[in-house]
Amino acid sequence: MSAQFTLKLEEKFSTLLSRYPVKRSVLVPMLLFAQDEYGFLNQEIVAEIARRLGLTVLDVEGVISYYSMLRKKPAGRYHLQICTNISCMLRGANSLFEHAQQKLGVGPGEATPDGLFSLEEVECIGACSWAPALQANYDFYHAVTLERFDQLLSDLPAGRAVPDTPPMSHTEHEVQVLTRRFDLPNAASIDTYLAHDGYRALEKALRQMTPDSVIEEVKQSNLRGRGGAGFPAGMKWSFVPKQSSKPKYIVCNADESEPGTCKDRLLMQNDPHQLIEGILLAGFAVSAHQGYIYVRGEYRYLIEILDRALEEAYARGYLGKNILGTGFDFDLATHTGAGAYECGEESALLESLEGKRGIPRIRPPFPAVVGLYGGPTVLNNVETFCSVPSIILNGGQWYASLGTPRNGGTRLFVLSGHVNRPGVYELPMGFPLRKMIEEVGGGIVGGKQFKAVIPGGSSTPVLTADALDTPMDFDSVAKAGSMLGSGAVIVMHEDTCMVEAALRIMKFYAHESCGWCIPCREGTSWLKKTLDRFHSGGGRREDIRLIEELAKNMLGKTFCPLGDAAAMPTISIVQKFRDEFEQHLTGQACPLEGRLELELASE
Amino acid sequence: MADSVNITVDGRSLQVRPGTLLIEACRAAGIEVPSFCYYPGLSLQAACRMCLVEIEKAPKLQTSCTVPVAEGMVVRTATPPVVEARRSMLEFLLGNHPLDCPVCDKGGECELQDMVFRYGAAESRFAEEKRHIPEQQWSPVVYFDAPRCILCYRCVRVCGEGLDVHALGIVNRGGHSENAPNHGDHLECEECGMCIDICPVGALTSGAYRYKARPWEINYVSTICTHCGDGCKTTLSVRNNTILRGNNRDHSGINGEFLCIKGRYAYDFIEHPERLRHPLVRKTGQLVETSWEEAIRMVASRWKEIPDHQNESASSPAFGVIGSNHTTNEDNYALQKFARVILGTNNIDHHRTADFPALIAALSAQQHAAAGVPDGPACLARSRDLAHAAAILLIGNNPTVQHPLIAWNIREGCRLRGTRLYVIHSQQIPLLRQSFRFLPLRAGQEVDALAYLAGELGREEKLLGRTPGGREITSESLLDFRNRLLAEKDVIVVFGDEITGQAVSLLVRMGSQLPGHTRYLGLSDYSNSRGAADMGLLPHLLPGYCAITDPLARSRFEEQWKSKLLAQPGWTAEEMLAAIRDGRLGSLYVVGANPLKKQDPLEYRGKTFLVVQDLFLHETAQAADVVLPAACAYEKTGTVTNTCGELQRLRKAMQVLGPRSDLEIFGHLAKAMDAQLQPSRPDEVFEEIRQLVSGYNVPLSQLMAGEAELAMPINGFLSPSEFPGNVSSSQDHLFTSGTLGRYSQTLNIVPEGKTYKPPDPC
Repeated sequence: MSAQFTLKLEEKFSTLLSRYPVKRSVLVPMLLFAQDEYGFLNQEIVAEIARRLGLTVLDVEGVISYYSMLRKKPAGRYHLQICTNISCMLRGANSLFEHAQQKLGVGPGEATPDGLFSLEEVECIGACSWAPALQANYDFYHAVTLERFDQLLSDLPAGRAVPDTPPMSHTEHEVQVLTRRFDLPNAASIDTYLAHDGYRALEKALRQMTPDSVIEEVKQSNLRGRGGAGFPAGMKWSFVPKQSSKPKYIVCNADESEPGTCKDRLLMQNDPHQLIEGILLAGFAVSAHQGYIYVRGEYRYLIEILDRALEEAYARGYLGKNILGTGFDFDLATHTGAGAYECGEESALLESLEGKRGIPRIRPPFPAVVGLYGGPTVLNNVETFCSVPSIILNGGQWYASLGTPRNGGTRLFVLSGHVNRPGVYELPMGFPLRKMIEEVGGGIVGGKQFKAVIPGGSSTPVLTADALDTPMDFDSVAKAGSMLGSGAVIVMHEDTCMVEAALRIMKFYAHESCGWCIPCREGTSWLKKTLDRFHSGGGRREDIRLIEELAKNMLGKTFCPLGDAAAMPTISIVQKFRDEFEQHLTGQACPLEGRLELELASE
Repeated sequence: MADSVNITVDGRSLQVRPGTLLIEACRAAGIEVPSFCYYPGLSLQAACRMCLVEIEKAPKLQTSCTVPVAEGMVVRTATPPVVEARRSMLEFLLGNHPLDCPVCDKGGECELQDMVFRYGAAESRFAEEKRHIPEQQWSPVVYFDAPRCILCYRCVRVCGEGLDVHALGIVNRGGHSENAPNHGDHLECEECGMCIDICPVGALTSGAYRYKARPWEINYVSTICTHCGDGCKTTLSVRNNTILRGNNRDHSGINGEFLCIKGRYAYDFIEHPERLRHPLVRKTGQLVETSWEEAIRMVASRWKEIPDHQNESASSPAFGVIGSNHTTNEDNYALQKFARVILGTNNIDHHRTADFPALIAALSAQQHAAAGVPDGPACLARSRDLAHAAAILLIGNNPTVQHPLIAWNIREGCRLRGTRLYVIHSQQIPLLRQSFRFLPLRAGQEVDALAYLAGELGREEKLLGRTPGGREITSESLLDFRNRLLAEKDVIVVFGDEITGQAVSLLVRMGSQLPGHTRYLGLSDYSNSRGAADMGLLPHLLPGYCAITDPLARSRFEEQWKSKLLAQPGWTAEEMLAAIRDGRLGSLYVVGANPLKKQDPLEYRGKTFLVVQDLFLHETAQAADVVLPAACAYEKTGTVTNTCGELQRLRKAMQVLGPRSDLEIFGHLAKAMDAQLQPSRPDEVFEEIRQLVSGYNVPLSQLMAGEAELAMPINGFLSPSEFPGNVSSSQDHLFTSGTLGRYSQTLNIVPEGKTYKPPDPC
């Protein structure tokens, strides 16, 4: 009971096999590519992949059912995936999704009888500043109004639909370090890159610097991890043992999935070589010779951009053996995820890269010591790596001076939600939050009252008006009682129901919990259920306390930070907006019901 | 590294071995730290979060199952945050757990119940409905109730890591995560039931036991499984003279928690409808039921009629006796005494499945040659030694299916302690997955391989070339295997029936070339094969491997038994059967054996006076003149000796009405023959064994407490010589067990039994 691969799949399989020292690593990409080919994963193809990789079918089934993009039944020719996560919700995604169901006459997860369209409500797809957004198969469509949606239904089958490419936003306050090449013609090509300082940092490092001095420079720069935790990058690199019996690896976390965050997407789209150079510098710094860029599965077009850039870099001798004649070897490849927020957690990402369910690992040992395939591994976010070439070229001191103490450089802030000019902006670390919302973002839409802001992606506690003077760097935001996180600033105005916000956030974490540990698995799903009931008018007074306590019972007790990520915004919303919870106790529907939906209609 | 580190737990100072996990350190000191997912010997999960404790200087609570102790560590296990954490984990778990404890099999012995009892979360604060998923039957013996599952992953790990079967896995994600079997809606596996036993709650339940009893109604009887040679301790749950289940919940005995399908379920032959409950005698060609008195009188009178039975001649002897490899040591000892003293014959044998006489002879010779070497006699390996061995050499056999406990221990050593497994085999046995080096060969070449390893010239050529499975054997691969093996210290050599007779001497010679202390383990079928050989169910050996031809040895037994013994070795089982076919045997007495299993019973009927004593009317019994129904191992007390030589005690669990114990029957027969067979009680017989049988004078305390003692019957004087008789395994696997297996319902209803195929040639 096994199927033959198509020629295309056969080629894909052998290319993939050559990329990894361990066969199993091809599993997740292979499943996704096979699904692209056959529309879904039928039993025969599953059995064939299992056979080729020496795995049991059960093992493969466990992986398939873990990743939300993988499916075992056919979808429509155009699989419409509408994001309803917080940033899109604030811009009316719920009514878009409802409209889509009515228009297509299908429910979530269903396909139209002609097999043309299928519909799915999805979690954040990384288009938060251009909300509401959807993906038709792998193509993105931004700012989808109801009219645009209807138009898409006729344009897609007619081949007239033009997918959106997200723009970089500009402001007079911007400081361009990471994004300075973005607006050049053919920005993603190696020629453009080379004409504008491209690979000069690598050359400098390989010819004039030692690995230790590269690490030292990065330490000097006060570059802190841009994925969310803000761990000093140079220090992380210095944890990698000099001697290792196993090969060392560099892994780039391009699994951008924190709701509200869509910045890495621009970095890969507009300047892939900057990322490649940053990874090469990390490789040189820790004496690693192999790297992988783990890209979230939804970002298929970026994998294509990255693969072209990698090809160029190999062709010009910036990757491969004996780079620039210095004797330094480095290989780099992309790796696709298949839909799992949890794989943004570094140890879960490594599991996923090894072809398994994205369950985090017990730490210590940390990846710097025991990482990919058991070898010491440096894992950093896209933006972190992208910052490195400029640091090496201009010096750590220079970079550090762009930001605030212990928070070097610039970062890409993602403005989404109820601001007039949502977008991705490069601003120096420490840029004031109020200025960011009012001047960069152009203030609150419709002249409405500001209510709350999530400063660093949906897992960070909400801040209210009293915290608007906070400088946006890791330490200052922490002092204000939240976290800078991924730099995703989600702004909410007076019409936002905070109970609904809490519910939408919890719905996401319940969907993305890997299910491994009790408090996260059970906590997120009970909180989701309780908040859902509460929001729809079925709340009991004691539920307010229950919600807060359940979240607290998760906080600090889960296997990985996902539990905290779910708990922290919940606790902050209950504590800061208790009155809104009490208003829900009338037994009536939410007092703000339908208000966000109006937003969309008014645009 | 220091020998111990000092830690403080709840104000108590503890000295702990470095590397110890905090949870183990606490538990060893009697400080209770609860856990679901942490399970000794299985990989760490840190999933249930029940073992969270406070460690000074740590920013938040830590899982004590993942933190090794460190010098100066200060730990608190009962502070309000810890107590609250435990309570809240239980609250989370109970959210979806159906509180159907009153009808749950696990009720009363459920870890979740116990934890809630101790740590709280007794009230529910959730308003939503619990998850409901219908119960699933995964196999005739495994049922799964998903909502009860707390996802501790014990079953997944014991099946994958412990059994190397990998039949269970987790599918879906988050709150939808679920345990799943390997074939969609059902399991295809070894049906060992370890997943059921290890389940802390009632998520996995046993098809044999479900909805049958409440644990507190049960009487627990620990005894020894009667099936394979490994001798696992199984704790039988008995209520109203009926066995309801088998497990080993207290983890005692040589097998700890391990049991295979046979130890767990295959007690069920005991009440099979075809179980013999009355003696049978042949009248006008038919076997008809009769009374015990009648049957015993008939046997004795026929035996007394056989002329001159005390003065047999070799050409036409009066009696032959074939004993059992699953009756007790006491039964076997008494049977050979009955044969030698009352029937006056050395024609006594049993189905030999390992060449223990040759092994004992070779080891005795080695000990004799190296008299005074310390550790000399301790050259037999115990089953647990395998889990701690530096290196193991396995020649032949397929322990995974023939010796599940031996295989379990080998895997444990490889998995947890880096044991290097060397395999010499003609088949692709499952243990190859754990092997460090593999020497593939063609069936029958095992002796050549041994000779090659022992350094005999000219053997290499015989091994070179391509195996039937297409593996190339080169001089380099042979040399690599030999060099690696010869560098290993303290090897345990495990061998099957591929190695018999002189080859065993060769094996011991090869083993003596290895550095350190080499130990041996001969693999035999059935629960008391080793005991049968030890007790002298052999034509040429008295109990304890004393040669019948040795006057000194003989006189020792003659003195105790107050009877003259024949000095001449008797016939082997094969010789006895041949004699029947030729009409040269007056009577054959078969106890607990089925020698005609693969023969045509008609060929033997009427050619001798055949008396069969057993549980079922098998082929041999069908040819019998008198059939005496015997009690099985679960219906009597006594001792058995496993394949390693570990002596363990049987405890009587129940009694089927009608059959009698073998020992009791011998006594009746002796009496009817106007003779005395003393002593007659199992414990008294065992005392005599302790006094007379080499290696059996073991201390009683452990034995009586339900643990094992190693019998080491190496007397150092036996001369190694070629012994007569055939040695061959029955090749029983996980789903068969000789004649008994045919009458076990469980072994016959699991589908894997029908589809079982022996491994392919390598």
